[in-house]
Amino acid sequence: MKTKRSAVIVALLLAGIGVAAVAWWVRPVAPRSQEVPVRSRLASAGGGTDGAVAVDFTLRSASGPMRLSDYRGRVVLVYFGYTFCPDICPTSLSATARALNSLRPEELRALQVLFVSVDPARDSVERLGEYAAFFHPSILGVTGTEVEVAEAARLFGAVYARHDSPGGGAYSIDHTALTYVVSPDGRLVARLPHAAEAALVATEVRRWLQPAASPQGVP
Amino acid sequence: MPRFSVVTVFAILVCAAPSALAAGAADQLSADGAYVRLPPPGAKNTGAFMVLRNKGATPLKLVKASNPASKVTELHAHLNEGGVMKMRQVPFIEVPAKGEAILKPGSLHVMLIDVIQPLKEGEQIVLTLGLEDGTSLAVPAPVRRPDLGVVPDAGTAAAAAHHPH
Repeated sequence: MKTKRSAVIVALLLAGIGVAAVAWWVRPVAPRSQEVPVRSRLASAGGGTDGAVAVDFTLRSASGPMRLSDYRGRVVLVYFGYTFCPDICPTSLSATARALNSLRPEELRALQVLFVSVDPARDSVERLGEYAAFFHPSILGVTGTEVEVAEAARLFGAVYARHDSPGGGAYSIDHTALTYVVSPDGRLVARLPHAAEAALVATEVRRWLQPAASPQGVP
Repeated sequence: MPRFSVVTVFAILVCAAPSALAAGAADQLSADGAYVRLPPPGAKNTGAFMVLRNKGATPLKLVKASNPASKVTELHAHLNEGGVMKMRQVPFIEVPAKGEAILKPGSLHVMLIDVIQPLKEGEQIVLTLGLEDGTSLAVPAPVRRPDLGVVPDAGTAAAAAHHPH
């Protein structure tokens, strides 16, 4: 009798340990926090004043130095990204390409898209050229020195911060994924959300193309 | 002897329970519309997207993925913080009971990091999705060019250049 009771106790103890082991084994895995301190820098995200501020920068494309003001008279869409960007930039640029492909040829001629690399350490202008053209021939890849790129981003209120891979692999860059609209008279007039629908982009482009149709429209 | 048999029964129950649960988890999961996005020239990383459906009554957790085309495969999510997109590795993607998880650009995705050879449009890549219980699901995913809309004349001319008549 006694041995039977102790056997039951031992069995129950073992079962208890087993249950605990299973509970540990199937425990929920809490998402790891891998936040980088860019939040405070987001305060400057509203720094670009829509509708008023004239913007300009000098950077380089595969064909040499370029200035944003070279494109006066055209609507310019500016996007800050980098070619190692695995998802966000291709998603944004694909949406932009869909918008470009929906425009009439004369509208397309009055438009320029600039893909500004915030990763000049890895993005050569040649690499940028190939990357941008993959999406649409009207997208020009440009970059500059770290300082030049930082200054251009600051002007637009775009922020970016390097994020090192926890596994020690290649770094990624958190970056503003808005598309900035520069009017034909060189003012920053709008910001479009990430991966904005082609129709929205096309509407926005047409809105700013109208005044450009008459040269008098440019002050 | 009866003492041992009782202990043995408990031990067997305890040890067998997890593997018994594991037996059919992947059977509850299906993946629809899976594709790998063709990366632009020179790009070594890209995403794989699909809709995961769980026909079971308990949630499923996708905890890992692998594929033969890239050196590393990770599960990722995006956070949009005031227009700043942050891509982060996540420990799992949950597929709710009788529900679905949508893996799409700008959101949850399987990330192919450091592709071994440049991917070709139309190439088929088999993704192996590993569930929390150790079972896995093989998902064939063709490499697809991103949707760039209907490319008018210029694009057609460029495409035609590859296939001269």
